Amino acid sequence: MSVRGSLRARLLAGSLVWILAALTATGFVLADLFREHVTERFEAELRIHLDQLTANVEFGADAVPRLRAELSDPRLRRPLSGLYWQIDREGGDAVRGMLRSRSLWDTTLEVPRDGPRDGEVHVHAVAGPDRERLVMMERIVRLEDGAAAPLRLIVAADERGMTHPVREFVGLLVIALGVLAAGLVTAVMLQVSIGLAPLKRLSAQLAEIRDGRSRRLEGAFPNEVQPLVDELNAVLSHDAEVVARARTQAGNLAHAIKTPLAVLGNAAMREEGALARLVSDQVATAQRQVDYHLARARAAAATQVPGLRTALRPVVEGLVRVMQRVHAERKLRIAIEAMPDAAAFRGEEQDLQEMLGNLIDNACKWARHAVRVAAVVRDGAVEIVIDDDGPGLSVDARDAMFARGARADEDVPGSGLGLGIVRDLAQLYGGRIELGQAPAGGLRASLILPAA
Amino acid sequence: MHILVVEDEPTLAAQLSQALREAGYAVDCVANGRDAYFVGEVESLDAVVLDLGLPLMDGLTVLKKWRAAGRSMPVLILTARDNWHEKVAGIDAGADDYLTKPFHMEELLARVRALIRRSAGLASAELACGTVRLDTRGGRVTVDGQAVTLTSHELRVLSYLMHRKGQVVSRAELTEHIYAQDFERDSNTIEVFIGRLRKKLPAGLIETVRGLGYRLACPE
Repeated sequence: MSVRGSLRARLLAGSLVWILAALTATGFVLADLFREHVTERFEAELRIHLDQLTANVEFGADAVPRLRAELSDPRLRRPLSGLYWQIDREGGDAVRGMLRSRSLWDTTLEVPRDGPRDGEVHVHAVAGPDRERLVMMERIVRLEDGAAAPLRLIVAADERGMTHPVREFVGLLVIALGVLAAGLVTAVMLQVSIGLAPLKRLSAQLAEIRDGRSRRLEGAFPNEVQPLVDELNAVLSHDAEVVARARTQAGNLAHAIKTPLAVLGNAAMREEGALARLVSDQVATAQRQVDYHLARARAAAATQVPGLRTALRPVVEGLVRVMQRVHAERKLRIAIEAMPDAAAFRGEEQDLQEMLGNLIDNACKWARHAVRVAAVVRDGAVEIVIDDDGPGLSVDARDAMFARGARADEDVPGSGLGLGIVRDLAQLYGGRIELGQAPAGGLRASLILPAA
Repeated sequence: MHILVVEDEPTLAAQLSQALREAGYAVDCVANGRDAYFVGEVESLDAVVLDLGLPLMDGLTVLKKWRAAGRSMPVLILTARDNWHEKVAGIDAGADDYLTKPFHMEELLARVRALIRRSAGLASAELACGTVRLDTRGGRVTVDGQAVTLTSHELRVLSYLMHRKGQVVSRAELTEHIYAQDFERDSNTIEVFIGRLRKKLPAGLIETVRGLGYRLACPE
């Protein structure tokens, strides 16, 4: 299913790209906001510690700084707890780690060379006693009278106090957004399926029409599809109308030409002489020509109109009723044998009648006592076999039967066009006709047509 | 034998009527479906030659209405439309046979003859009663092998009686079947024809059933 070729894939791909982009952007923005917030809180806390430290520093009589009281946070007393302070003396007799929190134990913080001016607070990243990353905050404090060297007050805290919550938050955020994405994609797929269901139904119905099980698209479709369905139905019924019109015209033409021919022929039969004979001959010729071309015209109209299905049995039964009347004098036994009720021809009823009518009529003309008709369906084709117990035909004569206007015996009535027309019609439908020998000795005609 | 020809093409209708009259039938001819239905409804017909493409009411409808009204005379459909679809429709509407235009008049006559014979339940084209034989194909009558000359009306009376051997046929029935519709019908003339036939045929062949009509008595 390529993206170009499938509406479903197009809609899914579009939605997927949009959902992923939107959720990713949301994720980044949320994570950023949270990180900013946590950093602010973290630095604010450090600042409180730094302020507390600043407030507690005092100088003794020997200008040696000391703390008026211990800082309150218990972490400052627990070794390597991750929260530290330290006081360095600057100036000529600089001492690093002059005073420091118990949490530093016997280490001192390596502080970058940096001299914030009075009142400024600087923030740095430094390595801690345990090689962990620390965020450090420092300020310089001087006594008003300048009696003592300036002091650098430092507090530092483990960076993880800040990065941990962010990492946890991002983890949760990814899971939540993932679940949301999965839900959205499922919803989109569902929506696409529901939205495209009418198209699926449309293609199923088209398949039915192609197989001849239906003549038009039935049922109501959504507004967007209905015009297409209406157009298709119009085309289908137009095709059927064209065929019907062609047949009607052929019929009208037949009527218009054949009645005068009948009048001429009958008039000539009553007269003697060369003119009467000429008229009789020409009327017979004209009749054959008209029959042939009208049959061809009807056959040509039958080209593959889709959605046609003709059940075999009713057609055969109708034709047998005709034969029993038309050949009543012959007292023939016309038997319909093995004919599955489901056997159907993928094509037009009149064309099937034309093919079978000619074949069964031929069989009746030649049969001595009995004609049998049987059908089997196999490999998507329906094979109708018509046997008679007449004289049959030699192999050479069988081939000649298909020639235009040929007939085996001028004494048996019939224009002789029958087999040629049957063959032409069968070929139009992608079928064929075969002549052989019937078990009873007469001719066997097998008509093989596409099944529906 | 009384035959109705339904054909809207005047020349063909004339040819059909002429050929059928020459073959010894009483022929009525109408040119549209409505008249055809009316005649078929009220007349006693022995056969109908019916064109399908008719003005006012098409042939198939006429035929279906006759059959629905219980009219059972044999009907031969005559039409230019020769596809099997129309043949099936015609037979299913109640037709007994089917002939497509153009046709040979001999074939039409043979089919009509066969239809009348079959509707009377007879198998052979040659009807026999004792020593009297009637060949329906040529309308020839023989007694003991000797040809007998009959006028057309005499032949019609004999032919009708031969088709209904052993049955009592009323004078009115005979009148209906030997005269066309437009003929001035006088049932007294039937007695004249019967009298002449009795002179030409063996004695006792045509019995009079008092108050009912005539019967052909055939010695087995």
